[in-house]
Amino acid sequence: MAAITEVLPRPSSATAGIWSWITTVDHKRIGVLYGATALIFMLLSGIEAGLIRMQLAVPDSDILGPERYNQMFTMHATVMIFMVIMPMGVAFFNFVVPLAIGARDVAFPRLNALSYWIFLFGSILMHFSFVVNQVPDAGWFSYANLTEQPFSQNAGLDFWAIGLLILGTSSVAGGLNFVVTIINLRAPGMSLMRMPVFVWMTLLTSILLILAMPVITVGLIELVMDRNFGTHFFIPSEGGDPILWQHLFWVFGHPEVYILILPPMGIVSEILPTFSKKPLFGYPFVIFSGIVIAIMGWAVWSHHMFTVGLGPIANSVFTITTMLIAVPTGVKIFNWLGTMWKGSIELTTPMLYALGFIFLFIIGGLSGVSHAVSPSDFQQQDTYYVVAHLHYVLFGGSIMGIFAGIYYWWPKLTGKLLNETLGKINFWLIFIGMNVTFFPMHFVGMNGMPRRIYTYSSEFGWGDLNLMASAGYLVLFVGFLVFLYNILQNRNARRVSHDPWDAPGVEWTIASPPPAYNFAEVPTIRGRDHYWIVKDEAREAGNPITEPEAAVDPRTIHMPSPSYWPLITAIGVGLIGGGLLSHYGVSFLGGAIAFIGVIGWSNEPPAAEEH
Amino acid sequence: MGLLPRKRATGSDPRGAGPPEPTPTSPEMRPQDPERSAPRRYKHHRLLVFGALAALFLLTVACSQGFQSTWDPKGPVAEKQLQLFNVLLWTMVAVFVLVEGALLYIVIRYRRRPGQPRPPQIHGHTALEVTWTIIPTALILGLGIWSVFTLFELDQPPTDQGEILEVTVTGHQWYFEFEYPDADGNGKRISTANDLKIPVDRPVSFILESDDVLHSFWVPKLGGKVDVVPTRQNTLWLMADSDLIDQPLPATYYGQCAELCGVAHAQMRFRVTVLSEEDYQAWVRDYSPPAAITPRAQRGQTLFSIHCSLCHTVNGPEVNTVAQARLDQFLTGEENAAVPGPNLTDLRTRLTLGAGITDLTIENLRQWIKNPETIKPGNLMYKNALLYDEGGNANLTDEEIDLLIEYLLNLR
Repeated sequence: MAAITEVLPRPSSATAGIWSWITTVDHKRIGVLYGATALIFMLLSGIEAGLIRMQLAVPDSDILGPERYNQMFTMHATVMIFMVIMPMGVAFFNFVVPLAIGARDVAFPRLNALSYWIFLFGSILMHFSFVVNQVPDAGWFSYANLTEQPFSQNAGLDFWAIGLLILGTSSVAGGLNFVVTIINLRAPGMSLMRMPVFVWMTLLTSILLILAMPVITVGLIELVMDRNFGTHFFIPSEGGDPILWQHLFWVFGHPEVYILILPPMGIVSEILPTFSKKPLFGYPFVIFSGIVIAIMGWAVWSHHMFTVGLGPIANSVFTITTMLIAVPTGVKIFNWLGTMWKGSIELTTPMLYALGFIFLFIIGGLSGVSHAVSPSDFQQQDTYYVVAHLHYVLFGGSIMGIFAGIYYWWPKLTGKLLNETLGKINFWLIFIGMNVTFFPMHFVGMNGMPRRIYTYSSEFGWGDLNLMASAGYLVLFVGFLVFLYNILQNRNARRVSHDPWDAPGVEWTIASPPPAYNFAEVPTIRGRDHYWIVKDEAREAGNPITEPEAAVDPRTIHMPSPSYWPLITAIGVGLIGGGLLSHYGVSFLGGAIAFIGVIGWSNEPPAAEEH
Repeated sequence: MGLLPRKRATGSDPRGAGPPEPTPTSPEMRPQDPERSAPRRYKHHRLLVFGALAALFLLTVACSQGFQSTWDPKGPVAEKQLQLFNVLLWTMVAVFVLVEGALLYIVIRYRRRPGQPRPPQIHGHTALEVTWTIIPTALILGLGIWSVFTLFELDQPPTDQGEILEVTVTGHQWYFEFEYPDADGNGKRISTANDLKIPVDRPVSFILESDDVLHSFWVPKLGGKVDVVPTRQNTLWLMADSDLIDQPLPATYYGQCAELCGVAHAQMRFRVTVLSEEDYQAWVRDYSPPAAITPRAQRGQTLFSIHCSLCHTVNGPEVNTVAQARLDQFLTGEENAAVPGPNLTDLRTRLTLGAGITDLTIENLRQWIKNPETIKPGNLMYKNALLYDEGGNANLTDEEIDLLIEYLLNLR
């Protein structure tokens, strides 16, 4: 086996150039790769949303036509969920978690790289459906049996299912990696109850990923087998059950909602104390609320299925459990308010985004209660009321939280602040655009407009509000462009100190951008707000801290060497999926490459000594 | 019990309610002394008034009672569901005002001032935590228990409100078929499509079946939706209540499929016409195949049996057995098989065409037969019938189309 590893000798830890990115196993760089990829997909998916809004702006419009429209809303949701919000969460896990727990990398750096490459190839594979013009068109939920022969004749749903299967492997690997990292690699002194809330939310999200992805994987494999190998899991005319798909999908799908929202909740819980100059109020209650949400998230899935006809007993149970899950969410919100109470609030851009998160998430949470109640939901299910709700939670919640996190940790990533003026313009455009787009949808939904219709007649009276929503989209889009501009012009910005926000987290003790090894000396954690304690003591002792931890010669610290094998293995996995969509021979080739990748990986020696 | 005033300006556009009265701009009211701070405050007031009027205008647009508005219930099921929603809504509005108010207050009140010392480092307050856990839990359990009662109350149709009418709804790609196993109490069967006719003040019990994929049966003004699922027989009951209907009968309400069911999902609509008991019975009595008594109609009948009868029937409630057998082939993957189209027996009594897309007029019907794709994209008639060429046009002369129409509508 040594032969294989000699073909591709282990690269040395070069720090520049494209090869250093392709072979990187550094959690910070992988975080950047995740974030950049997710931003590109956010732009793509945002354009898909724009086409949807363009089509719906006026009644009886026929710009897209029904087929294209169905493809657009399917891809918009699938991409936003699996290729934007989830990887954005993972980008933060990667960049922040090791720094915040005082570790030098994640537990399995090469597995981490593998997760990214598989995510990238899975996403590209699904987007290849545009190239062959066989785009998935059955919604992000893809309810059976519309997804089966003879109702779905092209390969769109195969792209969807196989793409998601590949993305699922990436998520499970990532989830395992972060559970092990957080359990094992915390610096001395960082007990579980001293962990930053964001790290806690990462731990919970990772556990949810490990448990939820297998459920959708089962459903997806059955769907692929139905479509390609003649099985009948979901085909009613052959004795299959389309409702089985709905159960599998939502047993995954509801924990998935918390996978999307818990990381941004963690981000907000980091930002509020920093800019209120007060520790998080009721830390244990925030943590336990998160745990309760992560557990109860498994007991509410059928609220997506109130109108399926499961009967009043099932509907009652899921009504009550769903309403109750609002309680731990409310507790978090109250604790955030408590954190700011009597604080010294500084309205920086990350703080504005965090406040925007709270403001909008409350609206989304409250409208959620109204369709947690099944008799009320019978009127709202599958209408624009639900579209409004879910965007208040996922845009007003998740995306606002993600922007908050980007603005907050950007100076740690680059050593430079994003422009605050542009940041505030960015925030207000997105905040206003978001409300103009999505608030009217509550009304148009209560006025009886179903989701997923590509056109409507003027006689229904939905035209004005749809036009308003479409206008709001333009504001949102401009807001997003301002954000992109802010990022792109950042290279000209002035360097700032390693701790520009006077933050409490361990990650702020080191230089910005952090050295490859993160911590020259693994810190001993003094408390929940470690850096505040350290800085206070230094100030009282008369020599306040102004400099980050001193740099050391990187060669004195053993770090994992870069590796090609994760990339090669991921190419193999991608080809296995691609082969299922084209020619099975390609799958065998992919399997062989993946096999070689794993063998090479397991036999890889450390890089040659550099000094 | 409506959330918003149930007014609907008679026939006029509800938006007409709103041009703001520009009273505050009258010059006499303008303060004279420019030195005082009043103008500024006054400007603020004007902004507030304008804002309030704009909000009112928006709300009027927003809650205008369109054809599918759930704010405007016409039956007990929709009314109960709206009542529950309204209670939830006002509770939510109260919570919204309290919590968002607290958020804004805190952000404004505790904004950092220059030179401010570090605030007190408070880590938490257990009694407060317990309070704000218990109060929402109690509130939610109260609402939840009430919801469960409503859920069970609405589960079965009332037995004390007149004889229950049974209707089987079958979802097809892309239209709803309605079958009355016993339309008049004497065993008369009726099969129709897209236009559901029901008697006022009688509970109607629906059995929901699907011929192909998932659909969802929804008449917003009469009640919430229930999915139409292959392999299952879901049930739903609705009733049109004469106390809530504010117009002379017949009254027509709109319905629409609410579950993504393929290309023409947006065009899977239907109408529910609420008739007085007498009119309903008359409709049932008159339900019969077109008579074909004129020579032109007889020629139309011949054309119908040549070109249309594989998928459509006009012979009363019978299922079209040829098309049904072909449907089974279609479902097992045979392409281009015929599927049963809507039963056309009572076409002359219907209001709409093409799954509720357009009104049933002779002109529209002519266009529909000539090129259905122009009215309802994705429909299977143009896809499956040999009658249509590649461009979607029927190989029929205008005269032949007129003959067909005369036959189907029983014109004389």
